[in-house]
Amino acid sequence: MVLVVALLGPFLFSDFFTHTLLTQVFWYGIAAASLIFLFGYGGMVSLAQVSLYGIAGFVVGNAVTTGAAKGQHFGLDPWLGVVLAIVITTLIGLVLGALASRSFGIYFLMLTLTFAVLTNYFFGQVTVFGGFSGVSGIQLHTPGVIGNPNIHPNRLYYVALGTSVAVYLLIRYVVRTPFGVALQGIRDDPVRMSSLGYNVTLHRTLAFAFGAFISSLAGILFVWWNDHVDPASMDLSAVIDLLVIAVIGGLSRLEGAWLGAFVFVILNNYLRSVPGLGHVGISPERFHTAIGIVFLVIVLVSPSGLMGIWERLRNRVAGAGGSIGSAPPGEGPREPDSQPAAG
Amino acid sequence: MKNVRKRHRLWLSAGGLALGAVVAAVFAATAVGRPSATPLKIAIMSDCQGAFAANYEQDIGGAITAFAQYAGVKPKNPNKPSAGWTGGSIGGHPLKLVGIGCSNDRADTAIKETKRLMEQLGADIMVGPLSGDESVAIANYAKAHPSKTFVNGTAGAWDTTAVVKAPNFFRFNGDGIQWNAGIGDLAVRKLHWKKAAIIMDDYSFGYASGAGMVADFCAAGGTITKRVFPPLNTTDYSSFVRQLPPPSQVDGYFSAVGGSGTPPMLKAFEQAYGKLKASQWIGNLFFFSSGADKVIGPELDGAYVGGFGSSPDLKGKNVTKYKKILDKWYKKYPPLAGKASDHAADGFTYNYYNNAWALVKALKVVKGNISDGGKKLQAALGKTSLPDAAYGAIRLDKNRQAIQPQYSYRMDVKTPGALAIKTVQYIPPVDQTFGGAIHSPPGRTYPPCAHKKLPWTGKEKPVVNGVIK
Amino acid sequence: MTETAADEQAVAGVAPALRLRGVGRRFGGLHAVRSVDLEVAPGERRAILGPNGAGKTTLFNVIAGDLSASSGSVELFGQDVTHMPSRHRARLGLARTYQQSRLLLGLSVEDSIYLSILGVAGGHLRPVILKRRDRAIRQRAREAARRVAIEHKLAELVGSLSHGEHRQVAVAMALASEPKILMLDEPASGLSRGERLLVTELLLGLDRAITLILIEHDMDVALRVAERVTMMHDGNVIVEGTPDEIRANELVHELYLGRQHYADE
Ligand SMILES: Nc1ncnc2c1ncn2[C@@H]1O[C@H](COP(=O)(O)OP(=O)(O)OP(=O)(O)O)[C@@H](O)[C@H]1O
Ligand SMILES: [Mg+2]
Repeated sequence: MVLVVALLGPFLFSDFFTHTLLTQVFWYGIAAASLIFLFGYGGMVSLAQVSLYGIAGFVVGNAVTTGAAKGQHFGLDPWLGVVLAIVITTLIGLVLGALASRSFGIYFLMLTLTFAVLTNYFFGQVTVFGGFSGVSGIQLHTPGVIGNPNIHPNRLYYVALGTSVAVYLLIRYVVRTPFGVALQGIRDDPVRMSSLGYNVTLHRTLAFAFGAFISSLAGILFVWWNDHVDPASMDLSAVIDLLVIAVIGGLSRLEGAWLGAFVFVILNNYLRSVPGLGHVGISPERFHTAIGIVFLVIVLVSPSGLMGIWERLRNRVAGAGGSIGSAPPGEGPREPDSQPAAG
Repeated sequence: MKNVRKRHRLWLSAGGLALGAVVAAVFAATAVGRPSATPLKIAIMSDCQGAFAANYEQDIGGAITAFAQYAGVKPKNPNKPSAGWTGGSIGGHPLKLVGIGCSNDRADTAIKETKRLMEQLGADIMVGPLSGDESVAIANYAKAHPSKTFVNGTAGAWDTTAVVKAPNFFRFNGDGIQWNAGIGDLAVRKLHWKKAAIIMDDYSFGYASGAGMVADFCAAGGTITKRVFPPLNTTDYSSFVRQLPPPSQVDGYFSAVGGSGTPPMLKAFEQAYGKLKASQWIGNLFFFSSGADKVIGPELDGAYVGGFGSSPDLKGKNVTKYKKILDKWYKKYPPLAGKASDHAADGFTYNYYNNAWALVKALKVVKGNISDGGKKLQAALGKTSLPDAAYGAIRLDKNRQAIQPQYSYRMDVKTPGALAIKTVQYIPPVDQTFGGAIHSPPGRTYPPCAHKKLPWTGKEKPVVNGVIK
Repeated sequence: MTETAADEQAVAGVAPALRLRGVGRRFGGLHAVRSVDLEVAPGERRAILGPNGAGKTTLFNVIAGDLSASSGSVELFGQDVTHMPSRHRARLGLARTYQQSRLLLGLSVEDSIYLSILGVAGGHLRPVILKRRDRAIRQRAREAARRVAIEHKLAELVGSLSHGEHRQVAVAMALASEPKILMLDEPASGLSRGERLLVTELLLGLDRAITLILIEHDMDVALRVAERVTMMHDGNVIVEGTPDEIRANELVHELYLGRQHYADE
């Protein structure tokens, strides 16, 4: 049903709502899905997903723009830009994954955070790729079937929707393959998986690269939608935004990615126009505070986000129990048995 | 069995999502409201976060003042410009301020805010943005939305008009290059510099500001022996300062380092090469704006400084009138201290005011009629000029970029008033290309040092006690 | 299955299934295992006994490769594996359970056992579902579940099962991979008398080709299943012998059997 509504989106909603907000929900959702995939199925809290989609965005920007645009403006074929963005981002994911995959829990998080900060600085200060000002004018160089999103916004909308559905189905599929099931085993207990014969480091590295691949798709859609990418697209507040989206939606359910993105984008846009908010101290410059409060409330009410709330409501009505798929992931590896027997 | 349950659950969740979507859509529809042909929907874009957050109210105040003075709107709150306005109309079309954009000097945010203002709130016309990178992105946006009309706020990136060339983006203020016209000539004539080095921020505004200095200095016969570009927002400048040649090898240094970077950069220089000398330093507007004058003024008292298209101590009937208008509509621009007219020459006030003023003039020409998708309005804007602008007449070139006179200053800690600077020189109208000398986007190494005269070389006039001689 | 395992043993010839030479393991200043020499013949049933903190589990961890040895060497079927990562030892046919049954709590029983088989079978990184192959592995997983009588919980999440069921899953996982050496760390601890009986039956019924090494505090289980017993204390092997010899040994009584009634409780 949500798919039907989404398919009819352009006919049901205002142009702004469809093309600016919903398209944004789709690419945000894809980025959040990569985060939820890594966390929910791989036990890795990655703060690098935003940087990865930013990298993809910069690759597209540098590859396809022409003339006096900032950065390299190679003027390549837009499809080649897409391929380059995916390949380069995935390779970077592979390398970062190889570096980070020996770390767990908070250490893994810190490594990816460091990566996020570094890439932000890198693109801010290495001016050959556009520097602090970033790259603009990308919408003039989208593939022909998409065209300029300002003229044919519905095309980008459907491409983003289609990519979302494809990413959703792809992740659902992958987690049922040997690779995916083993990844969940590693999430639960990497040491155990190692003694079962698995190469935990390699497995996590590849999973991380897969997450980077998903992120790169979000990044490509992002620059087509935004026309522009600059280091601020991947700064710490963007990192936090994506984390908020994933947590609001619910980290243990893939659908939560898009639900969280939807709630976030809607709040971000409409919270400020709600009359009276100014009087309680939520002026335009503080709308982030408002989102922070919503975030806190959701997390306090339901640690598994809106999907968790939804599931509980549904269970109460249907009286059914049990949860699908993943239980809350463990907090990193346990050391081999060390305690003397309890007696 | 498990799969069936899964699917069931999926559909239920999907239902929930859809419900949310519908609710939000209804919400959206009511929030946007029905567009009506009559009112003119205007948006103002400024920064309420980031480096220029303190200038937020000031920007809005400058813009609204023009609407109040020339189009009959009433500020809602004389102490808080962002409260908006009521009333006002042009040619029978009511003027409606549909929203104020709150960006953070980053292009990415500016785009999102622009989309919100133009698409969600349905604005036809925007005044803004504030800063360089934002304006490049918004000019690109403008290009893709020809039925919307944009007049700049106070952004000073060169590319905005020279490269993007959006037919519906107009800028009635100078850019970073123009603002520094005349400063290199001062270095040669007054300080007898022959060789100099430059340190400039490694991004578009730093390049533009530095380009103005380099082009002007070299036109006057000087030579730039070294260019150093620290990244924006550097905190420790010591390694960059060490790349500068020592004082024994050059006659002086130009600085186009950002507001918060100037004091630490100078401090690092002092540590490397000893005490600062006013005769060895020339800065851009960041030597005095954002409070830098209070920090470095005492050490560099008497140093020459590039301008901002305005002159704080200039006297004249247009200046007097302009200051009166400012004080008539607003008492202050919080959080800045002092009354509105204390900030008259500050580019944030002046440029927002002029851009909005020009917009009102053009709207009057077309009698508020933009039903043709703004075509006539845009044509009218292209022909609009501001002959009575407080600090000198402003007209547009073919890229819809202002041509305006410029001023050079000296640091002067004894000057009364808000800024510790004194105007020393007037430069007759300066265009964005320096008479064709600058034809590519300024960069790390562009423009090269060319000893070719600029249109105003030799035509600068001294300014003494606020009077052009 | 029996035949192939036996064939391979024949090929391995006289080499013992496991041989430890002077194996030690330190944690900082603590010598958990000091210097252990141990040989276990193919197909043998060996119990390792010892009081709490004797170093039994640590020895298991060193054998399995979860911990590296501080000194000495480990050989499996004549091959030196001292520096081989645990996953490669698993591929040589070594399977184990853990004292605090480390299980994959977020997975279903079937998926857990499936992973145990896949771990040795290979194809871990395959990102596609191959119907035939995966169905065959799942079939084996279900059979293993049946052997430990947990087949009615195949779809349940391991995290939602009881302690006893966890033990069953652990054993099923270990058996399903068809190991050549099976190491069980206190498989009967925390079980009811009835459950312990079942475990004993299961162990007695194991394929004779499998080498079994068992840590067990419960003498009833240990001495019934084992052919030989190694007694550890304070990181050292102090006695080795048949169950009868062990029962008769005074040192063992002094150190250890005093607590037997406790285990029976
Ligand atoms: N990872 C570790 N770090 C530090 N000390 C450890 C670690 N693992 C075990 N030890 C210590 O090594 C000694 C031996 O422990 P081990 O678990 O091997 O004993 P055990 O014989 O298995 O005892 P139990 O019968 O209680 O299971 C103990 O003193 C224990 O505290
Ligand atoms: Mg133990």
